[in-house]
Amino acid sequence: MSVDIQSLSVTLGSVQIVHDVNVHIANGERVGLVGASGSGKSMIAKAMLGLLPVDAHVTGSLMLGDVNTANASERTLADVRGRYVGTVFQNPGSALNPVLPVVRQIELPLKLHYNLNATERYERAMTMLHKVGLDDDIARAYPHQLSGGQQQRVGIATALVTAPRLIIADEPTTALDSITQRQIVDLLVSLVDDAGASMLFITHDFAVLSRATTRSYVLDRGEIVESGDTEQLLTHPQSAHTRELVHAARELTLRATQTESAQNTVLADNSGMSSVATGTLTSKTEEGRA
Amino acid sequence: MRFVIRRLALFAVALFGISLVVFVALRILPGDVASIMAGLNSPPERVAALREQLGLNRSLPAQYADWVSALCHGDFGTSVLTGRSVGAQVGARAQVTFPLITLGLLIAMALGIPLGCAAALARKPAVRAAFHVVAIIGGSVPALWGGLLMILLFSRGSGLIAVFPSQGFPQAGWSDPGAAMMSLILPACTVGIIVGAGLMRYTRAALAQTAQSDAVAMAMACGMTRTQAILRVGLRLATAQLVSVIGLTFAEMITGVMVIENLFALPGIGAGLITDVGNRDLIAVQSELFMLAAFFLAIGLIVDLLHRVLDPRLQSAGDNAEVNA
Amino acid sequence: MSNMTETSNTTDTTTTLTERNERKNELPRNAAEVTTTATRRRKPLIVVRSMWSHTEGRFALIVMAVWLAVSLISLIWTPYSLLATDGYHVWAKPSAAHILGTDGTGADVLSWLMAGSRTNLLIVILTIACAAAFGLLLVAAMVSRHSALAGASVVAVDALISIPTVLLALILAVPLGASIMVIVVACGFGYGLNLARVARPQALLAARSAYVEAALWSGASSLRVFVGHVLPNIMPVMLVQLSLSAGTAVLAESGLTYLGIGVPSGVPSWGHSLATSVKFINVYPLTVLWPGLIVTVVVIALNLLGDALGDAADPLANTQLRVVSKRAGTNPAGDKGSAA
Repeated sequence: MSVDIQSLSVTLGSVQIVHDVNVHIANGERVGLVGASGSGKSMIAKAMLGLLPVDAHVTGSLMLGDVNTANASERTLADVRGRYVGTVFQNPGSALNPVLPVVRQIELPLKLHYNLNATERYERAMTMLHKVGLDDDIARAYPHQLSGGQQQRVGIATALVTAPRLIIADEPTTALDSITQRQIVDLLVSLVDDAGASMLFITHDFAVLSRATTRSYVLDRGEIVESGDTEQLLTHPQSAHTRELVHAARELTLRATQTESAQNTVLADNSGMSSVATGTLTSKTEEGRA
Repeated sequence: MRFVIRRLALFAVALFGISLVVFVALRILPGDVASIMAGLNSPPERVAALREQLGLNRSLPAQYADWVSALCHGDFGTSVLTGRSVGAQVGARAQVTFPLITLGLLIAMALGIPLGCAAALARKPAVRAAFHVVAIIGGSVPALWGGLLMILLFSRGSGLIAVFPSQGFPQAGWSDPGAAMMSLILPACTVGIIVGAGLMRYTRAALAQTAQSDAVAMAMACGMTRTQAILRVGLRLATAQLVSVIGLTFAEMITGVMVIENLFALPGIGAGLITDVGNRDLIAVQSELFMLAAFFLAIGLIVDLLHRVLDPRLQSAGDNAEVNA
Repeated sequence: MSNMTETSNTTDTTTTLTERNERKNELPRNAAEVTTTATRRRKPLIVVRSMWSHTEGRFALIVMAVWLAVSLISLIWTPYSLLATDGYHVWAKPSAAHILGTDGTGADVLSWLMAGSRTNLLIVILTIACAAAFGLLLVAAMVSRHSALAGASVVAVDALISIPTVLLALILAVPLGASIMVIVVACGFGYGLNLARVARPQALLAARSAYVEAALWSGASSLRVFVGHVLPNIMPVMLVQLSLSAGTAVLAESGLTYLGIGVPSGVPSWGHSLATSVKFINVYPLTVLWPGLIVTVVVIALNLLGDALGDAADPLANTQLRVVSKRAGTNPAGDKGSAA
């Protein structure tokens, strides 16, 4: 599904949080939205899904396929969400319904959008559960009984179970430790590519961004300050804000690569795409050090 | 399981504490109960006899030990004034009070929870403000006055729409269920509206909190509308909180309906306790206060145990786990 | 019946707090710190002014002012003497001579209600003072650095808070009989517990903060730290809770007086006026209207006052207060972090 955001502005109370933002995502493309915390990234994601608080004011157009979610009715939005657009949240620990067993959570989008009988639904959910690398015995568990990484796998399974055409991943790895981060990003990328869906990947972390996306927008205080090829942004950041973000990512990766280089090769098997990304990232880091 | 045992132990300790508090409070406060009971200007012999009868001339520990050991055998003592067993007296009163507060609570829930949900779902600030004002007004009416307005509007005799008996409870009690029920409707409505207003504000506040949670956002992201997500996920997440409020409200209503019982001349627990206090019926008051306090503690216990059933996070988490819904 | 409203009493604070959090969930939650004398003097003025600017706040302030004025006037003048009865005009309908009519003894209803307002005002003020003193004492114990004291007081508050005010009043009434003290002590005790529980989280945050740490290191006494650092932080919560408690106290007065364990007979109060007219409800329904209406309006006003105070006295919600703090050269709330 293609996404076309034209001159989007979001105002919350008397504060304008997003200023005149334009974003384009082509069919099957993986695009990043990067910025420091407080830059308004999540607001854009929420605006796309119609999840902003009721008193928020949105102007501009937000085309997801042929639906403009900026002025669509609640019913239309609900039909789009979970069916054509899957969402992965930052904190699976708080986003997963604490009173639902894992399998019920994954079944939820199917239940809301498709007329399947209970067995069919269960089977599809279990297939999805296996796809994200979780075992059968997790199906009956409650979210709080899982580790952070397992929780996020459940979140990904829920987002992808209906085979949506667009995935919005809102800081899906921020709450995780660095090893799990890579596993989750690689899993997400391989599943999205297998399905041929598009993805908007939101993060503040360039190190993750280069593994997950090909093209990126840099957001600073609600405005797009730079955009282009993710690699290009990493190697030749133009704006001061981008440079800062890249620098911060290098600092982190420097330490991470030394301890985890052994694991990279193992993890990279998950998807060809990500092994390239890992390779480039490491070499970039080395360059930076020199 | 360990939690249940620990909670039960705490309950037992609290019961003991309460018995001590009630006993001490009724003895150390100034004023000679025997002489007040006997009435003004009564001869000293009469006062002395009463004191003897109440056991007031014995040492305090001995009085306490007698009372508690009797309690342990299910004997709540005998009223000095009426000569009836306090246990039987309270049992008869409970047949009025429990149906009354149960009905009142049902009315409160039927009013408060849907209105609270509607208030939480309202998008327009003006509508939200209107709900807020309705809840404040409902909670600001003195029960006495609310009951009077009910009588003025709906009771036989003085009411504009004369349907319900204005006062009293049928002599036959529940052997005539229709008449008994009719006599409870007006008082239950009064209680229900006032308690319902509080419940409405609580429901709204609890839902407003869960409506902002990630879990509700996730449910919407899966394809629910905001209304669906708040009612299905938000309300479910607020259930544990609401259950404790409703449970504690139920406990408080026992004494809370005192004024209503008095106004509608219903022979309930609260009205009876007031009579006993007015008569300075020491033994009856002491045992009744203990029973009420024990009831409050028991409701607290049930609410705590229900919490664990309703929230899977508490079942496997440690006893001190904090839940951030 | 005082009790029935107690659930909504604690609830109200939750409601108000959540409402306010909704509005400013983008702001950090560190509250105002030390204020200079200059700020302290100007603060109440700003709070009142910003309350006045909202309809609800204005309504609440007007009702409070009228209440105070009528109470003062009733001390020196009422249309008729309270003891003046007119056997020929009992249960008179409202007329030019008796604006609200007369009661069963022929006494002027308006005069009794005017005199009643001063009794109610006295009860409310005493109750609130009692609740504030007891509540603050508990808060101090709960955030104390002696962990045994803190733990014990938290458990004690949790255990005692479930005891309804009416039960307490009844226990007190056994030896005391009907008395204003019964209302004041029973309600002050109960509302103090509520206050302590509601204010504890914020007090704890303040008491464990870095600036308190610093103050203690520099040799400030515990009392000084409590008054200088903890108290300003819980002030907004406390004001809200106390004005809600004031509303509950007015309701409690009418309920307890009707039950015969509140204001003794012969002393004018709204509850007294309400209770005496109850017996004749079937014959003279009109007389019951006025005292009930007054109590309802006053309780509504006290509830709205709580809401308005909560918004106006909180530096996070009221930007004007922040301006003052800045001018006074202190570190106002909201400056430390940026919106998320």
